[in-house]
Amino acid sequence: MSQSQQQERQCVSCGINIAGMSAARFKCPDCGQVIFRCAKCRKQSNLYECPDCGFMGP
Amino acid sequence: MSENENEALEAAEEEIDAEAPAEDAGAEPDVDPEIAAEEDLPAEEAEESAPEAEEETEESMFDEDVMPDDEADLLIPVEDYLSAGVHIGTQQKTSDMERFIHRVRDDGLYVLDVSQTDSRIRTAADFLANYNPEQVLVTSSRQYGRFPAKKFADAIGARARTGRFIPGTLTNPDYEGYIEPDVVVVTDPIGDNQAVKEAITVGIPVIAMCDSNNQTSNVDLVIPTNNKGRRALSVVYWLLANETLDRRGAEPTYALDDFEAGI
Repeated sequence: MSQSQQQERQCVSCGINIAGMSAARFKCPDCGQVIFRCAKCRKQSNLYECPDCGFMGP
Repeated sequence: MSENENEALEAAEEEIDAEAPAEDAGAEPDVDPEIAAEEDLPAEEAEESAPEAEEETEESMFDEDVMPDDEADLLIPVEDYLSAGVHIGTQQKTSDMERFIHRVRDDGLYVLDVSQTDSRIRTAADFLANYNPEQVLVTSSRQYGRFPAKKFADAIGARARTGRFIPGTLTNPDYEGYIEPDVVVVTDPIGDNQAVKEAITVGIPVIAMCDSNNQTSNVDLVIPTNNKGRRALSVVYWLLANETLDRRGAEPTYALDDFEAGI
């Protein structure tokens, strides 16, 4: 996997490289940028911010 | 019954009549606030049972402070949100939902920020518009959410699972009702926890309608709203359906009455 592809699959909250099935991948509802959230950040309900438009979730 | 007894009864009734208005004047409605929020009695029924209490509730509801910016541009007039009780939270709050809470009422109920509810409905509609309608799953185990959830699914062409969520619906290919949606919309993360669990297992995003007492664990997009009231759920699902159709360029043809269950 190239470096850019690896960077793309990083959790938007904690920056960890994502592996496994429990992570979520979805498009930012405001700008359409693809967002990854790792299982741990989802479980802990960590806030995420879209790197492009600044949308704050969840 | 003797004449004396009759007279005594009449006198007692008069006393009660004389006391009742004095008790009601300026006092809180004689209804447990949490029960009222959960049951969400229709205005007509409440009027029949306790006219004075209903009048006071309505008065206090419409001049309530429910958002920081009074001139925010909302999908429907703020009075409509208030009459449906969308802003009414619970007497408990979680740290996850703190940022959606506007204030706490004298009776201990947390009031949700209506402008955030409104903006999150738009955001959720944008979110859902990214997906194929058939790949959206709507769930509601809560009685009052079942009809609006089904109607919402009908309106946008999604699939609905109301009532008990059969374990394995998203994870067991041998189950005949097995489906593979791309996104799940849940009415209450507590009641629909099986759907949320399975969504985590298969790694799909979860949109949840959360009240002030919900935790947002494993939720990817929160719609802060009263998820216990019949009318509140109808209004939120109706707005979400209309907005989603609008994003797709379709003409929204549904009225609020279409989403109100006749329970």
